Amino acid sequence: MTAVVEARGLGRTLALEPPVLLVADASFSIMAGSFTSIIGPSGCGKSSLLYLLGLLDRPTQGQLLVDGQDVTGLGGDARARIRLERFGFVFQFHFLLPELTALENVMLPMRRLGRLGNAAVRERAMSLLGDLALGEKVDRLPGQLSGGERQRVAIARALANDPAVILADEPTGSLDSVNSERVLATLHQLAREQARAVICVTHDSSIAASADTCIRMLDGRVVAMG
Amino acid sequence: MSGRLGLLAGLAAKQVAMRRRQTLVAVSGVAVGVGFFLAVSAMMIGSQADFIRTLIDAAPHIIISDELRSPPPQPGAVAYTGGAIAIRHQKARTEARGLKDWQEILRAVDEVPGAIGSPSLTGGLTLRLGGREEAIALIGVEPDIESKVSTVEDNLRVGRLRDLQTVPGGLIVGEDLAQRMGLQVGDVVGATTAGGARTLRIVGLFKKGRGQLSSASGYVLLREAQSVLGRPFVVNRIGVKLVDPYQSQEVAGRLEKRFGYKAESWQERSADFLSLLVTRNVIMYSVVSAILLVASFGIYTVVSTSVADKVRDIAILRSIGFSEGDLQLVFVIEGVALALIGVVLGWMLGYGLMAILGSLRFPIAGEDQTLPLDRSARQYAVAAAASLLSAVVAAWLPARKASRVDPVDILRSAA
Ligand SMILES: Nc1ncnc2c1ncn2[C@@H]1O[C@H](COP(=O)(O)OP(=O)(O)OP(=O)(O)O)[C@@H](O)[C@H]1O
Ligand SMILES: [Mg+2]
Repeated sequence: MTAVVEARGLGRTLALEPPVLLVADASFSIMAGSFTSIIGPSGCGKSSLLYLLGLLDRPTQGQLLVDGQDVTGLGGDARARIRLERFGFVFQFHFLLPELTALENVMLPMRRLGRLGNAAVRERAMSLLGDLALGEKVDRLPGQLSGGERQRVAIARALANDPAVILADEPTGSLDSVNSERVLATLHQLAREQARAVICVTHDSSIAASADTCIRMLDGRVVAMG
Repeated sequence: MSGRLGLLAGLAAKQVAMRRRQTLVAVSGVAVGVGFFLAVSAMMIGSQADFIRTLIDAAPHIIISDELRSPPPQPGAVAYTGGAIAIRHQKARTEARGLKDWQEILRAVDEVPGAIGSPSLTGGLTLRLGGREEAIALIGVEPDIESKVSTVEDNLRVGRLRDLQTVPGGLIVGEDLAQRMGLQVGDVVGATTAGGARTLRIVGLFKKGRGQLSSASGYVLLREAQSVLGRPFVVNRIGVKLVDPYQSQEVAGRLEKRFGYKAESWQERSADFLSLLVTRNVIMYSVVSAILLVASFGIYTVVSTSVADKVRDIAILRSIGFSEGDLQLVFVIEGVALALIGVVLGWMLGYGLMAILGSLRFPIAGEDQTLPLDRSARQYAVAAAASLLSAVVAAWLPARKASRVDPVDILRSAA
């Protein structure tokens, strides 16, 4: 079984004066159906690593493989395509488009991919939101939703194109404990029941404890895995 | 692909809908630009067409005269080309001027479909009445043909060109000249040339204020002119009218090449005036382009503030999997959409302005004149194309910034 995402000596240095090291020499494999957490103190490079894994940023060292293929040297359009088809992002702050309703936000990635017809896109968006208990609120703008609801809309949008990998950056960071539980349970469910790879950056040690794999970072380096 | 465009256009439409006030400013900028472009160019092109029509109609389209542009080469020089001998200071034969093969030239003119050639003889003559003397250019024509070739007939106040045929020794002069000499229709006037003297009878008058025609010309029958000027059977000018005046240069060139006589087209005759029109057009198009350019500044402003306000959304869309090109396109579409709305409103404004301009009446020379306007659809298309083109450029510049937004920078600073 090949890894969905594989890092081989992955590193990222900002070409500032002096150079800033964000991530150095990260090597690991992420398997389908696994829940991986990335933990470490603030500023150690967790988000930076996640951006590299999600093809939002380009590594300055090492290689990145997605579905066994080297994507390190790909151009912007090809990388955008992989993000669209294979990845779903969930951030600490919900990051929804404020002018679009919950439903329209969820439909966006599907419409860009263009594989489904309009009716099918709508139906799938409705069902994704329904699964996350948002069936009643599909036509609300993000401003008319609570923090937890927004984060669930963001998860629904991340799932829209049936991605292989969910990348979450402190998804519960701005939520209360009840909503945190709920979001987390959803992410675990995605890994276990739908065989997606979930990579979750977190400060929360209980989340880390519940993960299949935990990547511990310090000063840009992976210091422990297990 | 059309699905993608539709999606991006939908996102752009949200932008347009969101910033009502700015949109209004940018759109009205384009609308005013397009409206005035239409009004100004309608006047400029309309009046130009009017000028040119006057130019074309003022005289025959081509005038073949008994002049040579360059003297014919000496037979000696032709026979011994490249010889060591150059012939200089030769004594040329003083020919009786006139178009030698004028009947053949007329036949050649007739071969051009729809073309009419009118032969005439022009010469100097002195009119004498009582103690007064006036030197005029006497022009002998065939009235039936001449009236088809030139607008001389239209310039008559009294009488018709035809009357020359019915009254023996009939003469038509201008009102200005008639006034100076105290002549009236029916009067008999003495005419003196180098050849001799005789009398002519006034049968018609040209309108006042028509320059040479009304102050120093006299029209008689061709036969009459030939006999008065003592040059029987001579014709020294052929006026040609064509169906398509824009063929004049080509036809003139052909005739000149064939017969050697100078054949001057109306374009050549009014070359300096036509070049003036070119200058005028350059000025007009610079002014109008400046208007359209300024209009596109509004679009630039709207799109660049849009981009600046939307970096967060740009980062979101990039993380979802929209490409750099997608985002650039969203903002270009936004700019073009503004321009499109502006163009449509501008068309209406321009139409209205032209309607107002067209309804104005100017009393000139006792007649109510309207502004000559060019209201062709072509101008609408030109205005639209120019504004859309400048809108694409004006939107594309800031839209490039949208594609350069690094999502990581935004995500980091938002966290
Ligand atoms: N543009 C930049 N210039 C200088 N340093 C930067 C820049 N961007 C990031 N850094 C530094 O890189 C390091 C890694 O940042 P990153 O956001 O990955 O940390 P993190 O582990 O996600 O922290 P947190 O838990 O607070 O989110 C930080 O120390 C940060 O200050
Ligand atoms: Mg972080």
